Amino acid sequence: MMDGSQGITPAGTWRVGVDSGGTFTDVCLFDEASGRIEVWKVSSTPDDPSRGIAQGVEEGMKEHADGAESDPAAAIAYLGHGTTVATNALITHRGAKVGLLTTEGFRDLLEIGRQKRPDLYDLFADKPQTLVPRELRFELPERMLRTGEIDTPLDEEAVRKAARALKEAGVEAVAICFLYAFVNPVHEQAARRIVEEEMPGVFLCASHEIAPEFREFERLSTATVNSYLGPIMHRYISRLTPRLQDLGLPVAPHLTQSNGGVVRFEAAAQTPVRAVLSGPSTGVVAAQAIGARAGFEDIITFDVGGTSSDVALMAGGETAQTNESVVHGYPIKAPMLDIHTVGAGGGSIASIDSGGLLKVGPESAGADPGPVCYGRGATDPTVTDANIVLQILNPVEILGGRMKVRRDLAVEAIAKLGERLGMETMDVAQGIISVVTANMAKAIRVISVQRGHDPRNYALMAFGGAGPLHAVRLAQELGMTTVIVPRSPGILCAMGLLLTDLRADFSATKLTALEPGNVGTIAETVASVEAEATGWFDAEEIADDKRRLTRRIDMRYDGQNYELSIPLPEGPVTEAMLATLKQGFTEAHERLYGFAVPEERILCVTFRAEAMGLVQKAELPERELGDPDPSAAVIGSREVWYPETGGFTETALYAREKLAPGMAFAGPAIVEQMDTTTLIPPGVRATVDKIDNLILELSA
Amino acid sequence: MTGQTTTHALDPITVEVIGAALSSIVEETGEALVRASYSTNIKERRDCSTALFDRQGRTLCQAEHIPIHLGSFLDFIPMLLADHDEKDLRPGDVFVGNDAYRGGGTHLPDIVLAEPIFVDDQLVAWTVNLAHHSDFVDRAHAHIYQEGLRIPPVRLYKAGELQKDIQELILLNCQVPRERLSDLRAQMAANRVGVQRFQELCARHGADVVLASGEALLDYAERKMRAGIAALPDGSWRFEDVFDNLDFDDPIPFAVTVTVAGDELSLAFEAPDQIRAPINMTRTALLATVYYIVKSVIDPTVLPNAGLARPISVDAPHGSILNCKHPAAVNGRVQTCQRVADLILGALAQAVPERVSACTNSTCSVAVFSGTRQSGPDAGTYWVYLETIGGGGGARPHADGLDGIHVHATNTSNLPVEALEGEYPLILERYELVDGSGGAGKHRGGMGLRRVYRATEDCMVHVDVSRNKSRSWGLQGGGEGGHGSYVTSPDCDPFERGYGTLRAGEWLEVITPGGGGYGTPQEDSETPIAAE
Repeated sequence: MMDGSQGITPAGTWRVGVDSGGTFTDVCLFDEASGRIEVWKVSSTPDDPSRGIAQGVEEGMKEHADGAESDPAAAIAYLGHGTTVATNALITHRGAKVGLLTTEGFRDLLEIGRQKRPDLYDLFADKPQTLVPRELRFELPERMLRTGEIDTPLDEEAVRKAARALKEAGVEAVAICFLYAFVNPVHEQAARRIVEEEMPGVFLCASHEIAPEFREFERLSTATVNSYLGPIMHRYISRLTPRLQDLGLPVAPHLTQSNGGVVRFEAAAQTPVRAVLSGPSTGVVAAQAIGARAGFEDIITFDVGGTSSDVALMAGGETAQTNESVVHGYPIKAPMLDIHTVGAGGGSIASIDSGGLLKVGPESAGADPGPVCYGRGATDPTVTDANIVLQILNPVEILGGRMKVRRDLAVEAIAKLGERLGMETMDVAQGIISVVTANMAKAIRVISVQRGHDPRNYALMAFGGAGPLHAVRLAQELGMTTVIVPRSPGILCAMGLLLTDLRADFSATKLTALEPGNVGTIAETVASVEAEATGWFDAEEIADDKRRLTRRIDMRYDGQNYELSIPLPEGPVTEAMLATLKQGFTEAHERLYGFAVPEERILCVTFRAEAMGLVQKAELPERELGDPDPSAAVIGSREVWYPETGGFTETALYAREKLAPGMAFAGPAIVEQMDTTTLIPPGVRATVDKIDNLILELSA
Repeated sequence: MTGQTTTHALDPITVEVIGAALSSIVEETGEALVRASYSTNIKERRDCSTALFDRQGRTLCQAEHIPIHLGSFLDFIPMLLADHDEKDLRPGDVFVGNDAYRGGGTHLPDIVLAEPIFVDDQLVAWTVNLAHHSDFVDRAHAHIYQEGLRIPPVRLYKAGELQKDIQELILLNCQVPRERLSDLRAQMAANRVGVQRFQELCARHGADVVLASGEALLDYAERKMRAGIAALPDGSWRFEDVFDNLDFDDPIPFAVTVTVAGDELSLAFEAPDQIRAPINMTRTALLATVYYIVKSVIDPTVLPNAGLARPISVDAPHGSILNCKHPAAVNGRVQTCQRVADLILGALAQAVPERVSACTNSTCSVAVFSGTRQSGPDAGTYWVYLETIGGGGGARPHADGLDGIHVHATNTSNLPVEALEGEYPLILERYELVDGSGGAGKHRGGMGLRRVYRATEDCMVHVDVSRNKSRSWGLQGGGEGGHGSYVTSPDCDPFERGYGTLRAGEWLEVITPGGGGYGTPQEDSETPIAAE
């Protein structure tokens, strides 16, 4: 169907986003022809997530696309995918067995890092686990000087020996990082060639390929994390690709990166370190789009899944982005959104610690066996079980009736915990909610108060399967007064995949003075980075009018070590443009630091190209505000336990799909829908806006 | 206006938000300082600190950078106010100072810049930062007059106007004036950020609410510190150790007696008279060290402000090494601080062995290189490179000591090889952990570091290592850590007390000490360590 040439539009009209989390796999389907947005949700299959993904796409298309019975994926024009496979492997230290080749004398650098201790005051704080054990780190005779001149030639025989030893040791991936490889990569390239010969098929990452920038430890760390995750991502993609092909997918699937953009599977498999925030970044992209449409610019996003919560802060409609960050203890040089994660979710397990206090998480029951109420043999109660016992969640069936639950088992498990604590069952269930809420509040404080932002000035946008369940409790804890629950919170990450552009970032480090005499060198370096971007555009088959390229140069005064990123105007690099750059840098320096030194030499350090391929995005349908009376959406009532009353209170149940723009009602109320449940406790007002968001107002 | 809304607005959330905002201001000013600076010691090694002080000079918040720098901050504003009438202060005044006896400093390379913050023409607070300028090197240390230029708190800027004559006087006394000037500009940039952010915070919440919250945060830190001390058993514990380095031959004995009585803690130090060597500590350096280690053991989460010091009293003989007086030399005082921190750990280990680590490498190993550039565009100019090298951490009750880290009063980064070799005529040949240097134990002490430098041009060198005769102690039967030492290439002229010369092509190897172990090595891993 697809011949790979440019400009051929597939026959399909469906754009599909698939977000695979630890517990559920969400599918969001958008029909470009009709403007319909549909959602589908299936249980994840952690032993091989590709099964759940293929199943979700197949079922979702069959359910919603006309004529998809026989050939379910044929009508798909675009498939975007976000996954937590990389970040989970990094958190749980279940990455590949990695070997490291490095410059003689620097084997321990991976452990030493920047020699600072992990916490200034806590004597018991530990460093993150080193990803390559000492015996798998090999030193090679070779040395490059800072000029790129070779001081000691690479001992190729030693590389061969090391490769054989690594093969013998059974490593699945090899990281190569030599000093000054970003200036002159020939030694890394030679070592790579030899390792390829000795270990055909092994995952290989050389530091100059993944992070061609100075500061050896951070570059080494990035290359090591990439190698650690490489085989995991490779396996993942090589299982998923044939399954999607079997469904008859006529287009190349894409994977989200930590910067919120997407790239093709083949590219993603080589650079898993750029996907450590793949899962959560699309939720932030979606929240940004929804917030903009709903008229909220200052938002804290609150994405709760089965095992963790991801939070991000958006001020003035923009999420902060960074080119270097420490993720789960490991420095990573890669473009990413500023997202903070905490191990608190619906599957978080409640337990009693050695001091006799109730703790919730970070251990999670995951998808299998899942919470106790799933009746799959689990006995440790989770946050979900507490919500079932309190009857905030439907105590009979969830997922729109597709999954039966056993409240009796959840009650039994929580009662057992209560016996050990000497507390009533219902108080323990509410206690689990309070503890997990406090944990979530801590995460919000990290991205707000700790950076000087008052959360009370922000609206909380709740999504993920369990976000709307906990949002009001969390807002109460933090003194926030507005909660936004989008129309399909359970699949917001999947929806974000339909709202994001194709994106890739390219960079090269070349120290060059910003002087007229260097106009040739600067133009050359800019051109080389641009050429990489063009290659990517071509590989992604992006039409000329959909290509967007932003060029920047990171510059500093000669003598400083931190750069300011200055945008390059369009057009060829000329002496006049250098003057513009100098002015841009001087102004930026003056603005940031309050001074500029006209007589100082300015150095260009890193040349960057941000390539964006514009895609057609899903339009959020808008409806007229109607009658405020919500009675048409009421589907019944049930008793729900509230701490406000210390007992069960009859609570109206609303069906989310029956709520219409303009409807208004007050808590206590529960809104049920296939992908989530929203708790509206007593005293909270709810209204439905034009794009079907639920807006909850709390009294300050 | 002031005072009216205070009680109304001072809910715990407001106090928390303002406390976090103060801490984010000092972190941001620190980041501005690092990013705008020129010397490797600041831009990469981050040997600098930032803080906010209230009008009286009490610490509102110190950034989590270098604990010993609190020593320079403690007395700076009070000493400044002793010399300058508060009525004469104007927006845009910037004070510079470094002196250990007249400027609140703890050694001369740490230059402090302080700027008063005004809101509605009222002095409300101070933004203060300190940068360790890699200068004043290759000197003698019999007394402070040999150690560099002494600067009492004087105006570098007067109402925003640079006092060129003062700046010229300072720069003429510096060995690398271009770097000093650039770093001073970076310090100015940091203060500008501090003033701006603090004023914004006051505009948002009202200056009265911000100041009242500051007061509440001091009380909060005091309450937490008292609660932590109260949780320790009452009693008195004495511990002694020796200090040794290359400056003198016979190890010097130190001792401390730590007494816990209810929610108060007192420390009484015993130390010999100050000596003609750079290891003497000013009282502020001693206080900064005590506050750091007590907070670490009692409750690392106590806010780093002046409130935490209230339940702690410190006594050391005036004129002794641990509480020196003019004109004692102080340049290498961080070595002594490190030993004092471990001394206190040793005393507290007798009270709460499960809360402390064994002795760390107990030093801050230093290598200083300097010379005149022989090639390149800057040929003929003087260069100075100072670096500090981590060592082993002490083993903990639950885990091995950390390998190759900075401990206690300091916490600077290493300089990346790819940054070092571009700046100085040196090549780093090895940087690795020293096998076997961690004390044996159920949990092993942290390993020390080895760094090997090759000179590509002739240069002067000073190595300051400690634990060269003594060793770091273990706990509960744990073994001792390895020595600190240095080796030079065989063709090198012998160094004297760590001072010498490297000619082009010659090399120097610095080995830092390891930490002590915890628990006897053969102990059954299931047996709990804490004495029941």
